[in-house]
Amino acid sequence: MNANLLSAGCAVAALILLSGCDEKKAADPSTQYGTDPVLPAPEQYILPPMRIALAKGWGTEQTPTVTGGLAIKAFATGFMHPRQVYALPNGDVLVVETNGPKAPIYRPKDFIEGKVKGLSGSAAPAGNRIILLRDSTGSGVADQRSIFIDHLNSPFGVALVGNDLYVAATDALLKFPYVPGQTHIDAPGEKVTDLPAGQINHHWTKSLVASPDGTKLYVGVGSNSNITENGMAAEEGRAAIWEIDRATGLKRIYASGLRNAAGLAFEPTTGKLWAVVNERDEIGPDLVPDYLTSVREGAFYGWPYSYFGQHIDIRVEPRRPDLVAKAIMPDYALSSHVAPLGMVFTQSSTLPLKYRSGVFISEHGSWDRSPLNGYKVVYVPFEDGLPSGPPQDVVTDFLTSDGKAKGRPVGVTLDHTGAMLIADDVGNKVWRVSAAKHTSDVAAAVLSNR
Amino acid sequence: MTKKETPSLPLIHPPLVGFAAVLLIGTVATDFIYSETLLFQWNNFSIWLLTAGLILAAIAGLALLLDIVRRRLPVIARGRFIGFTAAALLSLLNAFVHSRDGYTAVVPDGFALSAAAAVILIFLGQRGWSLRAVPSSGPTRTMEFHSRSPEIQS
Repeated sequence: MNANLLSAGCAVAALILLSGCDEKKAADPSTQYGTDPVLPAPEQYILPPMRIALAKGWGTEQTPTVTGGLAIKAFATGFMHPRQVYALPNGDVLVVETNGPKAPIYRPKDFIEGKVKGLSGSAAPAGNRIILLRDSTGSGVADQRSIFIDHLNSPFGVALVGNDLYVAATDALLKFPYVPGQTHIDAPGEKVTDLPAGQINHHWTKSLVASPDGTKLYVGVGSNSNITENGMAAEEGRAAIWEIDRATGLKRIYASGLRNAAGLAFEPTTGKLWAVVNERDEIGPDLVPDYLTSVREGAFYGWPYSYFGQHIDIRVEPRRPDLVAKAIMPDYALSSHVAPLGMVFTQSSTLPLKYRSGVFISEHGSWDRSPLNGYKVVYVPFEDGLPSGPPQDVVTDFLTSDGKAKGRPVGVTLDHTGAMLIADDVGNKVWRVSAAKHTSDVAAAVLSNR
Repeated sequence: MTKKETPSLPLIHPPLVGFAAVLLIGTVATDFIYSETLLFQWNNFSIWLLTAGLILAAIAGLALLLDIVRRRLPVIARGRFIGFTAAALLSLLNAFVHSRDGYTAVVPDGFALSAAAAVILIFLGQRGWSLRAVPSSGPTRTMEFHSRSPEIQS
């Protein structure tokens, strides 16, 4: 009884302090990088550990910190929850201002979580529209701005194929006619196909990428829960990557068991589809590592029944040993609760040479781990189409020294000059990371291009 | 000098304790159905029963305090007080367990806590929901709040 009293008292105190009771220390994230992450035994909490990075925003002259050889500048500011950036071939940049639909309250926890997430800036009002930015002088700062497409339903992914601009809204894939140079699209979007949304719509973002030949579109559809707590019926068509035929609009599940593939991209040297995936919460600060993986056609990656192969999640009943047996290991762990939401391969970048054969991954960071993990943009080097080393910090200092969030990185892309653009949904800015001028790398690049 | 308690003034805490207890006991049923059907809505029922039961339990606690302050309850039965408090704390712990995601929100810890609280409440409830000390064959342990107040025989 004393133990119970103590636990209960601790739970109450913890709820007030928003800090976990569990004294067990989180591991060094570097033990969870790469092909063979250390996976501790899962835990079941009275109150899961959490730590909120309160949304603070950037000071006037403040920027994130970049590593040597790079320079960073705000490309544009004053957005309403920008989450994606997409560079059009003519140099114009699209910024998707978006946030999820209001989440229903099915349990007291939903109410409390909503309040907690609100503190971290996740519930900020969004434009639910796409803004077009133009840097007409090539200064690295946008000087023209217009509302490109308005009144969208929680849009996320954008992909241009020829003159068709595809936008993945939370409930449908839409197609808009696009003419280069256009600053506004009035034409209504034509629905290519419905996407899973519904009343719960837990992971609402729909990531989008077109195949290199432009015949197929791939959509990342997140799970409808953390770990099936909304019932298996709600997971129909979810936790999967969909393949949609551009010509016919026909769709099929390309790969499944991926809890939330929030970023998709094709590796340019092999032409293979890769994804960054957000794994499950509330079984420990070091479970389950989020990952980067090539996406194999028809493969099952475990969610919800297991993770990283055959590690069974005891929270899912009835169990499916048949599916667990089929579950494959993702290629590369990024460590736990970093929340990778964006990725871009760097072969066409003009950043220093050391950043030109891998992938940039934006780690939004989450609140269900203490200490915090993520809140930065990392670079994972590739060799022969596969990751070849640990992630390297590239853009950091999104957090203050006392753990508040100045910003949080979401979408990343390369602009037409080969610089990196980062959408920051707490700082409400788009950052541009370019090669620092007069570095030997740039000189070498210029020479090598001759 | 001795201020007599007026039997015509009813205690306000017993019905509230009863309402809270019924909701908390009901959690066993919804937990059982969840464990049999694996339909998660039954766990949702459980957590709402726990939440509402705990809110009522908190109100019942305030009512008890009010009964004491207003001198309607000079002595309370210590064993019953400890029993009801234990059931409430177990249920509070259980609300956290029930807020886990998935099967382990209920099986086994949540179900066990619901059952433990229910056993305590059903046992205590056989003598109603009042914390008034009642005479028994042996000496009753009580907690006195107002010295010299004669115990009222109910």
